[in-house]
Amino acid sequence: MASKIVTFTLNGRRIEVLVKPLTTVQTLLRDQLGLTSTKAGCKQGGCGSCTVLVNGDPMMSCLLPVEDVQGQEVTTLEGITPTPGLHIIQEVFYENFAIQCGYCTPGMIMVSKALLDRNPHPGREEIIDALTGNYCRCTGYEPIIQAIEEAARRMNGNGN
Amino acid sequence: MNTREYFLPQSVNEATQLLAKHGPFMLVMAGGTIAMPLINEGISFPQKVMGLRRAGLSYVTKPNGKITIGAMSTLTQMLDLKEIPILQEAAHQVGGWAIRNMGTVGGNLFAPPPAGDFAAALMALDAQLKLVSTAGARIISLTDFYTGFMTTALSPGELVTEIQVPVPTGKTAYLKYGRKHANTPAVVTVAAQIELDGEGVTNSRIALNAVGPHPIRASKAEEILSGSPLNPTTINMAASAAAEECEPFSDAIATEWYRRKMVEVYVRRTLTKITDRR
Ligand SMILES: Cc1cc2nc3c(=O)[nH]c(=O)nc-3n(C[C@H](O)[C@H](O)[C@H](O)COP(=O)(O)OP(=O)(O)OC[C@H]3O[C@@H](n4cnc5c(N)ncnc54)[C@H](O)[C@@H]3O)c2cc1C
Repeated sequence: MASKIVTFTLNGRRIEVLVKPLTTVQTLLRDQLGLTSTKAGCKQGGCGSCTVLVNGDPMMSCLLPVEDVQGQEVTTLEGITPTPGLHIIQEVFYENFAIQCGYCTPGMIMVSKALLDRNPHPGREEIIDALTGNYCRCTGYEPIIQAIEEAARRMNGNGN
Repeated sequence: MNTREYFLPQSVNEATQLLAKHGPFMLVMAGGTIAMPLINEGISFPQKVMGLRRAGLSYVTKPNGKITIGAMSTLTQMLDLKEIPILQEAAHQVGGWAIRNMGTVGGNLFAPPPAGDFAAALMALDAQLKLVSTAGARIISLTDFYTGFMTTALSPGELVTEIQVPVPTGKTAYLKYGRKHANTPAVVTVAAQIELDGEGVTNSRIALNAVGPHPIRASKAEEILSGSPLNPTTINMAASAAAEECEPFSDAIATEWYRRKMVEVYVRRTLTKITDRR
């Protein structure tokens, strides 16, 4: 099996990894790099719990071969979490009970981040539209939508 | 997963050469949103895979009267096509945000039903496909491209490289009906383009998805409209003809019976939308 070296930027740091053919970004993150915020839910692109940002765009890491991100910028929840502390989006999810079991949360937050980066003041419909690819089976979505509205208010147009 | 080789050609030329060399045992993959779930699930276990993300096929150009879409353009890219609102609408109806960032226009042509919602809009616009192999290139209409359930006119060694769409000269409308508001498999999808000369229909193209082995034309409905005025009577006749001629299937989303009923309702609504746009 012809393993390959792939170089890309992960959470702001340039890294070099050795992967077997067709290894997905999800498998690389979780099993090779130990970055387990990216979840492994359905592995069908259907649940959104593995969402990462590639050059700022949400993608399902379970469907994405590592070799395809050669030279690109990949961001996971670990990458937006400050040390110490929490990102504003994480804070508002926590405060608004937008988390129950927590499995969907990293994917939800990555999509929220991508949305707020593009559109600092999204309307309710725009928030719902951005989240349609991410399933939460606990909260009923309403607290998540409200958390994102609150994050937009607190960030007031200047994210990170 | 036992894939032994993953190729990422840097050009169409390299891609067709790899395909000629490795033959039908190499899986071609575009955005991977259909292919990868099958691999993850262990339903498909290709020894060799060729990814097309680096082959230089994600572009949109606008030569006169036409829009040329590279096969690897994503559905997200289609949201910017202001000249052709029906393609924007159709792209928005595919999956959620992340799926649209990955899934490609070329891949949608191969999507097994009930997927293929973007292809239905392309069919209503009389899109032509460019197929390329080491032997050369040919152009084929999307309607002729489909030959059966998960079979196409693509020959071994060929790739779809480009989708050519004439800018619509008629009025267009698009409706997808699913069990949820968004990110949902279709019960039925209807895409229509109607050209009118005053009151009379001079040309009509009605494409249906999720009610056949692939996106299909509702030719009987189209015939009924041709030369007739577009009014509630002719619209009802066309809608029931479409319901009769389509070949729906039952799945977890809907039964054959329900899909047929909904074809009638949604063809009627789509055509009515066109009359409202006058
Ligand atoms: C959660 C989810 C929701 C979805 N929702 C929808 C939906 O609402 N509507 C819908 O229509 N689809 C939907 N899909 C299916 C899919 O995402 C889209 O149909 C998408 O456009 C497929 O494109 P792709 O590039 O990812 O295909 P791929 O998986 O890359 O391609 C599938 C196959 O097509 C062939 N192929 C692709 N491109 C070429 C080419 N250029 N030349 C030759 N052969 C080629 C190859 O054999 C390949 O294996 C959904 C998928 C998921 C996972």
